[in-house]
Amino acid sequence: MPCLMNCARAALLWAAVTAHGAAVPEQSEVPAQAEVPAQAEVPAQAEVPERVSAPPTAPGPATGLADSAALRATVYGTPPQDMAPLPNRVPLAEINLALPRARPVPDVFWFDRKLRVWFSAQDKPAPLAIVISGTGSDGNTAKLSALRGVLYGAGYHVLTMPSPTFPGFIVSASSTGVAGDLMQDGHDLYAAMQEIVRRLPRKVKITEIDVLGYSLGGANAAIVKSIDAKEGKLNIHRAVMIDPPVSLFASIGRLDKLFTQSIGAGDAGIEQLYRRLYAQLANLYRASDRVQIDEDFLLGAAAGILKTDAEFSAAIALSFRIDLVNVFFAGDLYAGTGVVTDPKHPPKVGDSLEATQRLLRSKPFSEYFSKVFAPYYLQHRPNSTPASLIADNRLDIIGDALSNNPDYYAQTNADDLILDTRELAWLRQTLGSKIAVYHHGGHLGNIGERQQVSDMLDMLAGRWRGAAK
Amino acid sequence: MRPVLLAALMTAALGGCASESLSIHSLPPQDPAAENAAAVASTAAFAAAAASAETAKEAGGSGPASEAVPPVTAADAPSMYTYDPWERLNRFTYRFNARFDEAIFLPVSNTYRRIPPPIRAGVHNFFGNLSEVDSVINYALQWRLKLGARSLGRFVINSTIGIGGLIDVAKMLKLPGAPTGLSTTLAKWGMHPGPYLVIPLLGPSTLRDGLGFVGDYATSYGIDVAKLYRGDKSWALGTLNAVDQRANIDFRYYATGSPFEYENIRFLYVRKRLIEDEGLHAKLAKKGEKSTTQQENEVNEPAGK
Repeated sequence: MPCLMNCARAALLWAAVTAHGAAVPEQSEVPAQAEVPAQAEVPAQAEVPERVSAPPTAPGPATGLADSAALRATVYGTPPQDMAPLPNRVPLAEINLALPRARPVPDVFWFDRKLRVWFSAQDKPAPLAIVISGTGSDGNTAKLSALRGVLYGAGYHVLTMPSPTFPGFIVSASSTGVAGDLMQDGHDLYAAMQEIVRRLPRKVKITEIDVLGYSLGGANAAIVKSIDAKEGKLNIHRAVMIDPPVSLFASIGRLDKLFTQSIGAGDAGIEQLYRRLYAQLANLYRASDRVQIDEDFLLGAAAGILKTDAEFSAAIALSFRIDLVNVFFAGDLYAGTGVVTDPKHPPKVGDSLEATQRLLRSKPFSEYFSKVFAPYYLQHRPNSTPASLIADNRLDIIGDALSNNPDYYAQTNADDLILDTRELAWLRQTLGSKIAVYHHGGHLGNIGERQQVSDMLDMLAGRWRGAAK
Repeated sequence: MRPVLLAALMTAALGGCASESLSIHSLPPQDPAAENAAAVASTAAFAAAAASAETAKEAGGSGPASEAVPPVTAADAPSMYTYDPWERLNRFTYRFNARFDEAIFLPVSNTYRRIPPPIRAGVHNFFGNLSEVDSVINYALQWRLKLGARSLGRFVINSTIGIGGLIDVAKMLKLPGAPTGLSTTLAKWGMHPGPYLVIPLLGPSTLRDGLGFVGDYATSYGIDVAKLYRGDKSWALGTLNAVDQRANIDFRYYATGSPFEYENIRFLYVRKRLIEDEGLHAKLAKKGEKSTTQQENEVNEPAGK
């Protein structure tokens, strides 16, 4: 059988290494620590209706608090032998839901019409844990599977949801199509959660609702709880943030910087990376005695190719850029900002998108902010400024609740690359005894690990009494 | 029997694409404990293999194939563009495949995955064993007699001791499968992959791989081992074969949610096949002969042409 996607896994790994990787055009380098004045201007981008500069790049290293070991943990994830005990049987159902207030779906997103979530039901009354995925990811990642396993094992009904930055969510559940605003995404998530919970089978008996999430999903979870505190539709009890960002745009700015440093500038950067990887894989494959490329080969190849910090950094920056390409495309299409799609003639089903993708992969987040995100939100939010948009995307907006309300918890790592020293200090100070900080784990490199899981379950159940160490 | 099956499939299809606002499908239950145990085992095996490869390298044995031809360099890599003159048709077929998969193939294979793993493994081995016949012929056509003998040996062992192919005894005897087909034979004799081609129901391919698939089927049909390909029950076996194949592929159309999925899959599929061609030619090449990409890659020609 020659085809039938026998390369599905291969595809994913390759995608992570090459497909969208791109380089940052030089002019997009934002001077570090630039303050953003309300009416900031970017020269040479005259056609942008609202002239906005990109958010300031965070000072300090592009890898935040991460050291070599943290970069490796981030890429490889939790070693299987360190995982908390998992149950033998977890029932699973897939729920596809068309939300009542959904807007027309653009042609090219025909497959994302419905919101897709996954649900595991206990057969007795139980608390419901709603878990939100990380940036750009759907509701069924390997990390979510690990969390689902331990939560189900601990007696929860488990509902896993995509990130509001996942294309499927943007199309089926976002009310703006322009993803990445904490409050807006929180409201969209909250609305979707209500609809899902309302329509779960009647035999599912829910005693209380808790929310959690990892990475951006952690911040989303806390925001959703804070919205619920005002609106009271779900009566969410506790929220646990796993490795959350503190300042969304500072974290992303670091990833942009990491991309420029590890992969290079201009479309030439990605071309070079692709050629190098192709040659490396071809030579490894030749030296092997295999008759086709399979998963084992690719795992071995990854170990052979990823050796230096720069290579691990490139893998991390690339996987973020792959997600950004989708967010950027959807935002531009919905907001009609015309950066890569013509608002008057949007692409149709069957049109080639190769040129668009090529354009997008060399665009950093700062460009999404200045050309799509800020123009859209400045227009729709009276009295907002670019600076206020950036400030609105910090966890500070719910800082009081985080520090005063005993039902918000966090877990993070002292070597997380999306944080810097100040941000970690802010988390510790704000959450006080409601945060667990682990020495090692990088970004999400210890999800499902024994200590992380036992602390998380304690937090969710209100048993957490502060770090033992 | 056939009309009944068709009717059942149509019902499943209609049910699958019904436009009601909510659908809840129950999936086969997960077994995270077993999955993690398997991951622990494979991590250990992987580490052991890496360690032994390291020792072998220190003992002085460098890759046997790498000496015959100069290594591939970055400059040899094919263009990032892919030759796809039939893109409109291909995109249409891709979309059709995605809908078909979502409506029929995936639900059926999810149901199939509830059957206990040992039984499914038997089915998988059975079809794998049948395909050895085609592998033997193609290894002969490629003049790779050692591999051909291995496939023949596997077929004989598994068909007898392995109870008609249900058990992969040969693998336990350190004779793991190494399937090949007409597409590789064509590659060996110098045929380029040709344009990218999305085949209805099967998915990503190239012209050469498509021809190879047809040829492989024709070979099996012509030989008609145990009258499985032409008898009354051949359609049922064909369906089971397809379901078995689908259930063993961990892929779902548009699971990435990305509007660029067609581009990504095309890119990856063609690069994967080109690297496999590299390997094939390097292994066959005599000293001094240039590698495929070095011969063919007149920079920026779309890959695959």
